[in-house]
Amino acid sequence: MTLLEMIFTPDFFFSILRITAPILFATLGAVVAEKAGVTNIGLDGIMMMSALFGSLSAYWSGSWFVGLLVAVIVGILEALLMGVFAFNLKTDIILVGIAVNMVGSGGTLFLVKVITNMTEGTALASTTSLITKALQIPTVNIPIIQDIPVVGQILSGHSILTYLAFILVFLVWVLLYKTPLGLNIRSVGENPNAAASVGVSVLKIRYIAIAFSGAMAGFGGAFMSMYYAMGWSLDMVAGRGFIALAAQAMGAGEPFGSMLSALVFGFAQALGIKISALGVDSNLVSPIPYIVTILGLVVFALVTRARIKRARAAKAAQAAAEAK
Amino acid sequence: MNKKRSMMFSLVRGLMAILIALGVAALLIFISAEATNIGDRFVQTFGALRQLLISPILRNNGSVNVKNVTDVLAAMIPILFTGLATCVMFSANQFNMGAEGGIMLGAFVTALVAIYVPIPGGLLPIVAILIGAAAVGVMMLIPSILKVKMGVSEMVCSLMMNYVVMYFIKYTLNTQLADKSRGQIMTFPFQENAAIPQLIDNGSKLSWGFVVGIVFVILTALFMYRTRWGYAIRMIGINQDFAKYSGMKVGGIIILAQVLGGVLAGMGGGIEMLGRYSTYAWSSLPGYGWTGITVAILAGNNPAFVPLAAFFMAYLNKGCNLMSTYSGVPAQLIDIIQAVIFLFFAAEQFLSGYRQKLVVKSAQEELQRQAEQAAAEGSVK
Amino acid sequence: MAVEYAVQMKGITKVYPNGVAASRGVDFEVRKGEIHALMGENGAGKSTLMKMLFGMEQPTSGEIWVNGEKVVLSSPTVAISKGVGMVHQHFMLVPSLTVAENMVLGMVPTKSGMFIDKKKAVELTREYSEKFNLYVDPDARVVDIPVGMKQKVEILKALVRGAKILILDEPTAVLTTQETTELFKELINLKNQGYTIIFISHKLNEIMQITDRMTILRGGKSMGVHNTADVDPETISRLMVGRDVVLKVEKEPAKPTDVVLRVRDLEYTNEWGKKMLDNFSMDLRKGEILGIAGVEGNGQKELVDMLFNFNVPDYGTITVNGENILGIPQRRIREKGVSLVPEDRMIYGIAGTASIEENMISDRAGARELNNGPLFNMKAIHNLSEELIRDYKVLCKSGAQQVKMLSGGNIQKVVVAREFSNNPKLIIADQPTRGIDVGATEFIRKKLVELSRSGIAVLLVSADLNEVMELSDSLIVMYGGKIAAYFEDTKDLNDEIMGEYMLGLKQQTAEEIGRVCHE
Repeated sequence: MTLLEMIFTPDFFFSILRITAPILFATLGAVVAEKAGVTNIGLDGIMMMSALFGSLSAYWSGSWFVGLLVAVIVGILEALLMGVFAFNLKTDIILVGIAVNMVGSGGTLFLVKVITNMTEGTALASTTSLITKALQIPTVNIPIIQDIPVVGQILSGHSILTYLAFILVFLVWVLLYKTPLGLNIRSVGENPNAAASVGVSVLKIRYIAIAFSGAMAGFGGAFMSMYYAMGWSLDMVAGRGFIALAAQAMGAGEPFGSMLSALVFGFAQALGIKISALGVDSNLVSPIPYIVTILGLVVFALVTRARIKRARAAKAAQAAAEAK
Repeated sequence: MNKKRSMMFSLVRGLMAILIALGVAALLIFISAEATNIGDRFVQTFGALRQLLISPILRNNGSVNVKNVTDVLAAMIPILFTGLATCVMFSANQFNMGAEGGIMLGAFVTALVAIYVPIPGGLLPIVAILIGAAAVGVMMLIPSILKVKMGVSEMVCSLMMNYVVMYFIKYTLNTQLADKSRGQIMTFPFQENAAIPQLIDNGSKLSWGFVVGIVFVILTALFMYRTRWGYAIRMIGINQDFAKYSGMKVGGIIILAQVLGGVLAGMGGGIEMLGRYSTYAWSSLPGYGWTGITVAILAGNNPAFVPLAAFFMAYLNKGCNLMSTYSGVPAQLIDIIQAVIFLFFAAEQFLSGYRQKLVVKSAQEELQRQAEQAAAEGSVK
Repeated sequence: MAVEYAVQMKGITKVYPNGVAASRGVDFEVRKGEIHALMGENGAGKSTLMKMLFGMEQPTSGEIWVNGEKVVLSSPTVAISKGVGMVHQHFMLVPSLTVAENMVLGMVPTKSGMFIDKKKAVELTREYSEKFNLYVDPDARVVDIPVGMKQKVEILKALVRGAKILILDEPTAVLTTQETTELFKELINLKNQGYTIIFISHKLNEIMQITDRMTILRGGKSMGVHNTADVDPETISRLMVGRDVVLKVEKEPAKPTDVVLRVRDLEYTNEWGKKMLDNFSMDLRKGEILGIAGVEGNGQKELVDMLFNFNVPDYGTITVNGENILGIPQRRIREKGVSLVPEDRMIYGIAGTASIEENMISDRAGARELNNGPLFNMKAIHNLSEELIRDYKVLCKSGAQQVKMLSGGNIQKVVVAREFSNNPKLIIADQPTRGIDVGATEFIRKKLVELSRSGIAVLLVSADLNEVMELSDSLIVMYGGKIAAYFEDTKDLNDEIMGEYMLGLKQQTAEEIGRVCHE
């Protein structure tokens, strides 16, 4: 068996989809927020918070669905709070995002201690194995497809959230390009004066967009703590919210392009895991997604610049021709 | 608005932000209190708040707790440096978050020199720290050059680099450098002459690094307000178009700001390493970079205010630790308090009504003064 | 039969919070179904008056009547509901959306209550497009369509929202000749369908061509209403560009010597495809003030941008004392002795939250006399700043005061003090006295004359006719990106002659213009 055969197995491709899903959720959040002119760098922190409340709620209620619902609601509320600071109190949105990420790191640890202490009498020794198989977000086998060799192994048997993430790519596209709300979001992001001049409330649209990004981060957080890992642990989101921002930029802010970028990161990480399974130190492969993110941004910048340069050169050549 | 009045406004605003944060803290403590009836909860909350606010300095009997005070001062050392680093970078309007990875890399490189490079006497810590600082300065060339030459977001880039740095260090530590005779993953011990001498040897680890930190506060303040480069950094931060029009080398200065930020963060890491530890054992990002961002925001990006802000954060941190030891409120409350203060300090419109009133009042006084002056001149003629 | 009025604005006064009175008791009446021109120079108060009619600004005093009904227009939404629509000079369009989407923004037709009914939006666009004979492509994205079509979209947007009175703010400023001709046909068509059109412009030939009546504004006051057929262009020009107060500046005759600034064959087409500089060449000599006059938007801004590398021409050369300054960093342009008083002082001229002192030294922070080794020589900086504050009469409490807290005139004095005091060989003064008080204006003008007489070359770009005519030793009039006229001597010039060139009624021969190149 060659090295390539060892790496590119069906379960490798299966894992790409699984690993991409939480990044994709956050990416879609970034896409919609950015379309409305809002740079939400707090996605990472929101995912942490939603991961925490999602897993805890699932544990208490004994229902993964309740957990998921709570995760999304928490995401929306936190995003709305960001909106209050950013839009109403005129705080730099970047700084608001930093604050949210601070809370997402140490603040969640505080909350987990306090909350479990209150409800359990003594603090849970660990939340890392809070989610049992029964509480995990369920997986589904897709009829017919699951029976196709290889393809079935790759596409079938994912959690419902994985499917939802990829379905949402299409739904976000529909939202942005086929609904009045999407039209308003795009116009507010591109030319707020034009939107306001025909009676579109810029403030309202921005709140809707940031709330949507919060909901997406909520899904992503729930995925992390209720499917990807079997419970919550500190800093488990590990920069996925930031990778999502990069994916959004590399996808030029479009849902499908950004999905492809997210898949690149998913691929990089899956590859890293696979390589480390083959005996390479995990610390050597773990930074791969982050390096790929930086490289991706550089490539994107180079491509954009080349395009602008070409347009300019064409114009100058034309003017020179006219001058003669 | 005159200087006195705008100072007063800043003061009131800062105090309000801190009060709100403490209010949030009190609420969280109240909710997390163990007692079941309301009265006991109030008592517990009050007790915890007392721990948070007073015990970093005073004992229960009212005498000064020297050990706690030196603990607080010692804890200021790394965040003085990350705070300064962030001040310099944010002053140029560069949202570089690399102080976090920077302090880790600086600590690691310094540690390597301190372990392996035979340099005699007191020269070793100095050389080790400088090499550590330089390494981080070089690291910061990546986000800054990518920003200037290609417009890549320095924020996303520096955040990604934090992770890369962390894994790189973990990898080398685990596979190459670890002292296998120890139970935990750590390096071999530093050479004996690498240690930075302690100011007070009471276990607080308040080393001469604190003095160096204060010296660098002064140097950074001088750099930012008394040199042409610091001036250019600030002007670019206020109005980049203006800086360009005035003929400043905008790209170069943006790179300079981030490299200097890196050097400061790296230096902080090295000093923390040699002042507090005898081997290197950090395997995750230490969090000082994020606290440094809060420090810079509290200081309004002015290095001169960094010691005050760093003291405040170190004090609160110590308070939270004491509180968690004695009253069971988790120490991570600090992160929430920090975020709340941070947000209200950064919120432009927070108390803007009050500011507006002050501005109007100033303007009226000014007009009146001018009218009086005109009248006086008229009577002279 | 009594005359029916679409719009009556009575005794409108507008004083802005900073104390500038943009309208002073203006009466403005527009009859139903006419095309009415609103004319005046930059700053005459046209835009302010129309902003009040469209609800974007509220008058300080006075009444507005629309279709015989007294109204309070508190927002554009209210104005639209009263049948007033406005086509802004800077289009209020979303570039990435299609024409049809822009048309229905804010009033989107839906199917099954959820999705945009694209078909309906396109149909609506087509319907209005055909009804008013304004051809647009409903499916094209706005970013891809020519300017002329963008304007039609804007007009249709107003019409689809029920506007019966259309305000067009300098609609032809961005159009090519063919597009203008087309627009006029469409406007007359609209008029024939009973619509009322208010047409803001300072292009005389256009006004003569399509308007029925006109109101001329000058200095915030109305200069009367005229039937277009009854007045000749010369009268209009006189009413429009006459000067109210002439600030006299004493100056000796210039003794120009060597050429300092040499500009040759500049060509520039802007991002919307409009030619802004067309074969533009000129020379500026040591010791003279060369004025550039013209209605704004005729290429002056583009010229200045290129002199200081804020923009790059498609073709041409610029040299200072024989050395190229085109496309090199601002730092090196300054090293060659070029200073610029920028048009927009708040964007380029100052760092608002920095102190006056810090703003005074931005172009020379590295100078040897201001530094002691690596450190600033704070005393030298302080002395320099105090000296400049004193010499340029900047009214402030101290040099440590934030510069943005000063009045407009004093901010401009800070900019001017810096730009004039660094031993320049060439000063480019772009609208140096715009929006500042009389005292500061007079001061800055005197300084410019003084500096030019000491042997500095001064390029004065100003839309203020009074200013360019008083200060300039020789003068260029720009029209449509070209030099319409060059006057070697400004002595015998009068407003009438200037007006005719500025408004494009006259054009000098190539030979006459060629004299601006001293080769």
